[in-house]
Amino acid sequence: MPDKTISYEELIPGYEFPPVTYELSASLVSKYLKAVDSAGDEFVPPLAITALAIATMAGSIPLPPGTVAIHASQELEFFKLVPIGATIECHTGVAQKIARGKMSMLILELEVFDQGKEKVQSGKATIALLT
Amino acid sequence: MLTEIQEGKALNPVVKHITQEKINLYAEASGDFNPIHVDESFAAKTPFGGTIAHGMLNLAYVSEMMTLAFGRSWLSGGKLRARFKESARPGDTLTINGKIDCVEQKDGISYANCSFECRNQKGEMIVAGEAIVKVSSDKK
Repeated sequence: MPDKTISYEELIPGYEFPPVTYELSASLVSKYLKAVDSAGDEFVPPLAITALAIATMAGSIPLPPGTVAIHASQELEFFKLVPIGATIECHTGVAQKIARGKMSMLILELEVFDQGKEKVQSGKATIALLT
Repeated sequence: MLTEIQEGKALNPVVKHITQEKINLYAEASGDFNPIHVDESFAAKTPFGGTIAHGMLNLAYVSEMMTLAFGRSWLSGGKLRARFKESARPGDTLTINGKIDCVEQKDGISYANCSFECRNQKGEMIVAGEAIVKVSSDKK
């Protein structure tokens, strides 16, 4: 599970969050499809995988009280189909940390692999932190 | 799915209505319980003045449009860059539009370069971005 013991100050470029593994069960995918109001097939929507990876990262970031974290931009690349029932491993880390007055930006990288260690997607999320 | 991959071709739009219930469902499905999305009393005290939808929920609608247009080519070879310009709020109706800006050949493979935007019922831009899809040569 994510390491919540680090402080925000310790989140420096190059920091890697502990990898997290998910089983993309039919019930998990069905819950996601209901939430996004979409029909599915035998493959997992790639954004469902991204959502899990980002939530894992976001939940691991120890924000100062009163800080609002907002998703500012997202880059993604998908490499292969992921069947329902697959197990994935999410690797996430800090690429950049920028402070501008009352606003800070965290640029986070993610890479997701399947059980065969093949990359299924990669991406970069920019999170704006407003105090 | 698109039957023809050609420059200027519009993708079928996707229209979605945002409700707090959908935002809460998305929080549960993704595990993202950031209070700006799900805690109305917390969100009311922020500069947003109320809860907002997850950026990734809005982006899921973009991906749905791309999946409807390109099918598995998008799921296994898509690439996107999105900027979240404004927040979507409960009560908003979002319309996601996209088009093929150009089709490029590289190493014998065709790529459809698309642009997309997601606007609310007032015409405000919520998400804007670009996407690239590797498409098989027989779909040129």
